[in-house]
Amino acid sequence: MTALTFTLKKNPSFKVDCRKLSPDKLGGLSVTEIIKLNLLNQNNSPKVADFFEVSGTDTEQIIFKNSTSQLDYIGYKMSRGCITIEGDCGNFLGANMRNGSIICQGTAGDRVGDQLRRGLILIDGSAGDYCGSRMIAGTIGVYGKAGNYAGFAMRRGTLLLTKLPKLHATIQDCGTHSLPFLALLFQSFKPLKSAFNHVKSQRVQRYAGDLACGGNGEILVII
Amino acid sequence: MQINGIQIDDTFAEAFDMRGTRVIITAQTLKWAYHAANAMTGFATSVIGCGVEAGIERELSSDETPDGRPGVSILMFAMGSKVLMKQLETRMGQCILTCPTAAAFSGIESPDKISLGKHLRYFGDGFQTSKLIAGKRYWRIPVMDGEFLVQETTGMVRAIGGGNFLILATSQPAALAAAETAIIAMKQVPNVIMPFPGGVVRSGSKVGSKYKTMFASTNDAFCPTLKGLTKTELSPEIESVMEIVIDGMSFEDITTSMRVGIQAICKLKNSGVNRISAGNYGGKLGPHHFKLYEILK
Repeated sequence: MTALTFTLKKNPSFKVDCRKLSPDKLGGLSVTEIIKLNLLNQNNSPKVADFFEVSGTDTEQIIFKNSTSQLDYIGYKMSRGCITIEGDCGNFLGANMRNGSIICQGTAGDRVGDQLRRGLILIDGSAGDYCGSRMIAGTIGVYGKAGNYAGFAMRRGTLLLTKLPKLHATIQDCGTHSLPFLALLFQSFKPLKSAFNHVKSQRVQRYAGDLACGGNGEILVII
Repeated sequence: MQINGIQIDDTFAEAFDMRGTRVIITAQTLKWAYHAANAMTGFATSVIGCGVEAGIERELSSDETPDGRPGVSILMFAMGSKVLMKQLETRMGQCILTCPTAAAFSGIESPDKISLGKHLRYFGDGFQTSKLIAGKRYWRIPVMDGEFLVQETTGMVRAIGGGNFLILATSQPAALAAAETAIIAMKQVPNVIMPFPGGVVRSGSKVGSKYKTMFASTNDAFCPTLKGLTKTELSPEIESVMEIVIDGMSFEDITTSMRVGIQAICKLKNSGVNRISAGNYGGKLGPHHFKLYEILK
């Protein structure tokens, strides 16, 4: 089976909501059925075929090609499978995600992993503001630069960064450490097509927070 | 049967059903992995007094362990699942959690899971965090040297305990040297441990005693100093008997281990070993019988 591939025909001039294009929503559907799907729950909704050429059959492995920052809500509430974004994506990438993995090979918009409960989001480029906002658990990695206020209102989970962004006052520096669990985490990244599969250092600056929400989350900045 | 002048008795070892598990212990160096593993498998020679029988199965190189550090694998056996769970948790808490740089991982997959760090995590007093990595849950418990990393559960499987053979020799040094040779060979066999000190036990027991409070007592039939007092199993020239007890994951594993051990002894020249025998209770207590003739065929 080949991965179900959505190739963007041309960059839309407005935001496109892609929350219906997840393994959970598309499981069991044929390409013919998928291209006829409404992208929104309303009568005059645009259809998938209006924006994408669709090919492939494996709904557990989804690829977005020619993707741009106009595509919002990719991976919304997904609970299984893997989405690979060959390009950029818009806001709310992996919002309310329950499990599975998302690999973004470009840059992502604001509020990546908003209310993420479980699963993995890896971004090769940069992420917008409020990355990991209201995160409940799970792991988000941003290889480029994360925007302001990463981890705002996060409860648990791990934000893995390479550069320190501007943080909210309720996220506190806990010092520099070598964390043994990172060996396992990086090992699990090896099969993924992500910039993170080259990372080896277990040396990180650890920030804990958001203290306004329990403080069991962490932002790890790889040194 | 005779092999290189050593008589093999036409008898069998009698073994019992047990529950077993494997835990992988890693640390910054192999030395510290051994410190943790030796503590965890200490006072675990016999279920009679220790609750579990445990031992180090083998060393693991850094490319064989989940976290890429050197380690050892431990096997632990008990008569029932509840005892095994309790003993594993206690030993994890007192021996692995406390050992600098040590981490613990599941060493066996099974539908039956027992807690490795599931309850130990509460030591973190609310600061503990979990990570689900590649479908497996791990706990990170903050401790004074950094973080203690432990997998949530490990597998529990049906296993066998009590495989054994006896080495009957003309002197105590000869019996011990032969036992040491056997243990060196048997340690190369996977899925088994020899839980007694150095792998060897000198105080084989029989069921019951003249004293009401004792349910096991010395195996007088194999005690060389009692040859004139009891119905002895020993010929006049036998001065010392050593026993090797084996716990393993399967019947085949214990069979292989016993064969390797006995063959190693039989290869020795002028070893002073006259006979190889095995301990049993008449075949009525344990469901697994390891017949020496069949093992050495």
